[in-house]
Amino acid sequence: MDSEKALGDIRILDLAGPMGLYCTKLLADLGADVIKIEKPGGDPSRWMGPFFHDDPHPEKSLYWFNLNTNKRSITLNLETVDGRKIFKKLLKTADLLIETFPPGYLEKKGLGYSMMKEINPGLIMTSITPFGQTGPYKNYRAYDIVGVAMGGLMFFGGSPEDPPNQPGASQGYHAAGLSASEASLIALHHKDMTGEGQYIDVSMQESVANCLMWTMPFYDLRKAITTRDGRCVTSPRPFPRISMAWYDLFPCKDGWVVGHGVAGAFSGGLEAWDKLIDWMDSEDMAGDLVEDEWRVLAEQLGDAAYLHTLMVSDPEGFTNMVAKKDHIDRIIGNFLMTKTKLEIYDTVQPWRIPTTVIQTIKDVVKDPQLEARQFFVEVEHPELNATVTYPGMPYRLSETPAKIRRRAPLIGEHNQEIYESELGLSPTELAGFKAGGVI
Amino acid sequence: MKKKKALDKIRVADFTWWGVGPYVTKLLGSMGAEVIRIESMERIDPIRFAPPMKPGQFSVNTSGYWNNFNPNKLSITLNLAREKGIEIAKKLIMRSDIVADNFTPRVMPKLGLGYEKILEMKPSLILLSMPVMGRGGPRSNFSAFGHQIAGLAGLNAISGFPGRPPSGTGNALSDFGINPYQASTALLAALHYRNKTGKGQFIELAQYEATTCVLEAAILDYTVNKRIQGPMGNRHLHAAPHGAYRCKDEERWTLNIRLTEQEKKALSPYLGDPPWAEERWCAIAVFTDEEWRGFCGAVGNPSWTEDRKFSTLSKRKENEDELDAHIEAWSRERTPEEVMHLLQKNGVAAGVIQNSEDLMEKDTHLKEREFYQVREHPEMGPVTYDGLQFKFSETPGEIERAPLMGEHNEYVYGKILGMPEEEINQYTVDGIFM
Repeated sequence: MDSEKALGDIRILDLAGPMGLYCTKLLADLGADVIKIEKPGGDPSRWMGPFFHDDPHPEKSLYWFNLNTNKRSITLNLETVDGRKIFKKLLKTADLLIETFPPGYLEKKGLGYSMMKEINPGLIMTSITPFGQTGPYKNYRAYDIVGVAMGGLMFFGGSPEDPPNQPGASQGYHAAGLSASEASLIALHHKDMTGEGQYIDVSMQESVANCLMWTMPFYDLRKAITTRDGRCVTSPRPFPRISMAWYDLFPCKDGWVVGHGVAGAFSGGLEAWDKLIDWMDSEDMAGDLVEDEWRVLAEQLGDAAYLHTLMVSDPEGFTNMVAKKDHIDRIIGNFLMTKTKLEIYDTVQPWRIPTTVIQTIKDVVKDPQLEARQFFVEVEHPELNATVTYPGMPYRLSETPAKIRRRAPLIGEHNQEIYESELGLSPTELAGFKAGGVI
Repeated sequence: MKKKKALDKIRVADFTWWGVGPYVTKLLGSMGAEVIRIESMERIDPIRFAPPMKPGQFSVNTSGYWNNFNPNKLSITLNLAREKGIEIAKKLIMRSDIVADNFTPRVMPKLGLGYEKILEMKPSLILLSMPVMGRGGPRSNFSAFGHQIAGLAGLNAISGFPGRPPSGTGNALSDFGINPYQASTALLAALHYRNKTGKGQFIELAQYEATTCVLEAAILDYTVNKRIQGPMGNRHLHAAPHGAYRCKDEERWTLNIRLTEQEKKALSPYLGDPPWAEERWCAIAVFTDEEWRGFCGAVGNPSWTEDRKFSTLSKRKENEDELDAHIEAWSRERTPEEVMHLLQKNGVAAGVIQNSEDLMEKDTHLKEREFYQVREHPEMGPVTYDGLQFKFSETPGEIERAPLMGEHNEYVYGKILGMPEEEINQYTVDGIFM
């Protein structure tokens, strides 16, 4: 056992498409021996762009590279009898099976959970599907956009002038894959304790429906519907966002900054407010915000309990408050337009005004914070004669660090290693299977 | 027989607050872990005051937002500003398996609860810390909330429509999804390692870093091809049609919203005049030739579908605006439900762009799967919780209502820590348990 890998003793068979690739990638990075089972010729995900130097080729997909680090690859045709026989052999050696076929597909091939359990009683099988294994939509098809639509995330993304927006980079797939990695490891703990395996049904729609922040409570308690309003955090209609000064998206000289209040309870309070006003005043841009009246208001605007009470007890005072907040935002907004995003960010954060900037992907790659923490890692791709810079791990474990030990596998790269050395198939058998389209 | 719980006997000392941390421990709690939220009246989790609340209800216990993300937990009040409070917190940590926080890196060490110290006291503990920027680095002590982190991590730059403000996902997605799932994945991997070796460890999840991990190949596209990806609207490199298509609007004369008379008055400027047109949309995605043929059949093979400019994916990509206009002319005459069912019947991926009402009231599929769960709350009455997105055959999870503030002081201090009643009363009077 490799003591430096959290999941070093775990073998996972990976029959997952895009909905599950991130799941098995994370588990492989945590040390599990993940065997990616591709159909002969290569997995369809290898044709997802972008490609290395924009050259479309199944061994050059950056999409594939990113989601298959540390995995081993074998080719195997589950449509053939021999293919299924080999699969069953392999299954005996596995702790976990993760798959994203439509409900019933594996069952029809004679590879349903009940059959697999007979071969391997401790097996944990995790099925990730768009809508789960039961219910009237279980056979409905979905790509990421349908998952985020049906799960409720898409409805409130974007601005009223545009259609609802699908978030970038397949967040429905990520929600489903991450739910699956978590669920699989929960089941693994249960297996550690009792030896018992089990079957897990993960639904992408439900995974997305768990990512809606306050949307459902707002409907449940107020029948208010969260509708897209062009903000980073949309307000459920008709509740206006009045909570704080400098909240959400503001344009600046070279881009955008995102605020979360100036004098609120979770910022540097009035001290922060004073510093900001001094900064603005030093350039003659604070206007009447230097008056004490606004200082009091700034503090009230940071107090959710006060505003809530005001809304129900003094509607007029409340409307008045909204107008005053708009006034503060106008003056702060004008000032921000004269500064670059990094000037603003690095100046106000030490005052404990929680503000960030909208970074481009290039900004992210060049970010000194990430650089200082050595977040990005270099991975060798000998076949391409290249070293490629990858994003690092989402977490750092002190004893069993997750890391990229090896680039994503080539098509069937580990056929020999797994079929010959581990399963004991002879070279002649292998040649036969190859010719027969089994592997 | 009592239902088996996967994380039975795992105790979590939960120092988290706001969004991301409580979501991690919610997930563990729903699968059977005993999660103890350490709260204080001196430092109330701001989400306890966050809307929504039912009209006329306003207390530390009545936020729907807070309740939804804190089911299956115990709550104690403990004043960490007092030395005795810290001492008791340490005792609780000694009786726990997992300790979680999402403070900036300076907080726990300042409280005397830095991870090195804790691990020294109990090497089998698994500690999870979720600072925004991570420990170390020039901006280590910067703070931010989920929707701000998404902007920082590049997610907003690749969401939305070209030339439009980068407003991102409309919610704090990294707090409510991405990072809690990633954090629990790490925690549970560490738990497995502990099961094998007895060894605990420290896990750091910098929320900013973790969010940059879910950008698919955007980072590699830059580091390899020097391409800076931007927003794609609703389009996809390998699909057409692919997007949100406007369907028949729904007209409503009443907004089905629960407001008090005063609130109605206060909010009247934002309500507008009836009837309100409710926009309805359907998402459609066609990747393969087979799906395209299915799509053409579903819309009745009108002559435009036979036009050569739509015959292959690359041609449809070239003429995508025109393609979308044809489709929207068709979908505009139908409800999104009709569009979805019809296309699905023909093997095409399509789904209603559902809002909260659709999800909770109209989605017959979620209903049959019993996704939403209603639980009775002592102050609020019935409250609906988001259900679990995974169904386990042997150890199904469950949702139990969220705790009142300090509801479990007696149990935790008395039963778990074994304090006699007089001592508990004394600390309560002394303001340690507040």
